[in-house]
Amino acid sequence: MNENEIFQVVKNVTLEVLPFIPPDLVILEGSLKDLGANSIDRMEVVTRTMETLGLNVPLLEFGRVKDLRGLVEVFARFVK
Amino acid sequence: MQPGGVITGMGIVSSTGKNIEEFGSSLRAGRPGIGRLSTGEEPALPVDIGAPIPPFSLPLAIQVGTERHGLTEEFARKAVRCAYDAPRGVQVSVLSAIEAWTCARLIDKPIAPGRVGIVIAGSNLNPDYAYGLQSKFRRSPQYVSPKYAFRYLDTDHVGTLSEILAIRGEGFTVGGASASGNVAIIKALQLLQLDLADACLVVGALTDLSPLEWQAFYNVGAMGGKKFAGQPAKACRPFDRDHEGFIYGQASACLVLESSLSAGRRGVPALAELAGGALVLAGNRLADPSVAGEVQAMQQALARAGIGPHQVDYLNAHGTSSPLGDETEIQAVKEVFAGHISRLWINSTKGLTGHCLSAAGVVETIASVIQMREGFVHPNINLENPIDHECRFCGHQAVPASIDTAMNNSFGFGGINTSLIIKKGDERIWKSE
Repeated sequence: MNENEIFQVVKNVTLEVLPFIPPDLVILEGSLKDLGANSIDRMEVVTRTMETLGLNVPLLEFGRVKDLRGLVEVFARFVK
Repeated sequence: MQPGGVITGMGIVSSTGKNIEEFGSSLRAGRPGIGRLSTGEEPALPVDIGAPIPPFSLPLAIQVGTERHGLTEEFARKAVRCAYDAPRGVQVSVLSAIEAWTCARLIDKPIAPGRVGIVIAGSNLNPDYAYGLQSKFRRSPQYVSPKYAFRYLDTDHVGTLSEILAIRGEGFTVGGASASGNVAIIKALQLLQLDLADACLVVGALTDLSPLEWQAFYNVGAMGGKKFAGQPAKACRPFDRDHEGFIYGQASACLVLESSLSAGRRGVPALAELAGGALVLAGNRLADPSVAGEVQAMQQALARAGIGPHQVDYLNAHGTSSPLGDETEIQAVKEVFAGHISRLWINSTKGLTGHCLSAAGVVETIASVIQMREGFVHPNINLENPIDHECRFCGHQAVPASIDTAMNNSFGFGGINTSLIIKKGDERIWKSE
């Protein structure tokens, strides 16, 4: 699975958790916070993406994530 | 201490109506919300009879509600945003609260946010939410939804409603088992009397039972629906010889309880006056109804309202359709209303709505207010062979009646006995202040 495919998963999950945002706004350069996600929404996106991808990423790994690109990169490191 | 409170707003979502108007017409017509239900899951429910709230879409229901009440798009967006991912119980609280809030004209004639409180009736409101997540937890605990950490809390009702309605006064939940609704109303009244708030939103919250609680209620012998397994609409039979236990019902009901001073200042009509209420423990932890405890609750409520038993026209009984509970209540009622019993109208709203558990006291207060305002007593649709022949039970049809004063009883497991006195809304109540 490449980063583009992972991004599609993250995007779908984000739109599931935040059904009110226009899909076009979910871009690699943007952050979940900018999209209006609160801290619980952000954890929900991370958890549901892990579930969809069948991953178990330690939460510490997400500490320095600044934008969706960073989020996708973390998942990419754990995808086999 | 401030004088009593008045009811200035009401809202409801129930099996017999998704707003006050529909609920009222079901009461008058004696239209029950009780039917057959199935979760489609294993193990199956031991009794498949209940009165569920029909499925709904929150965004759609909020849209309809805001159009009906003339609210702004911005309000609707905020309400949906706060509750779209909430458990069903919180979602129906939002809907009933919006109806009550607009009925009380708190949008166009607001009260300072710090002078409004929220009291949520009920505890352990959401067992079905937890039950639904159990299998995922056992399979892969790392994928349990993070939002469960706060959505499982009963206080999620407080937080969500306070955000949508911008409430900044006191807010909390109170538990009193099946008497929770009345307990919440009594606590809200006390907040007004202590001058800690001008108005309180009182929400009788949906108790969303999981199959685990269904089974336990069945195993302990409290749940009915066995003899009339083939006729769901006949299963809930308060005060009938064939009663055999409660039938579970779902509702969220909401009142705006306001000080008469505040209602007068705002110039909003009192739908009814809450003249007094009492909560008395019987000193036992079981499902063991106590004549003495029930008598005391009714007598204290009358004393606090400053009236005698002969002044009560109508009793909205606890009447769950449980043999021991019904018989105990009738014995207690006959003791309190001796000499007046043939003139006191009695019905049990649970015959139509099922037992709405935490919400019951608020549902039945609303039922009482509707009957007082519209001048009728709703039928006891399944009362064929009454367990008592001295009481004035309403029959199978609604009866026109002039009700100036009503009593609403709610009794809960653990010896929690409550009674309220409700008087007909009278403009003089607030105009004279």
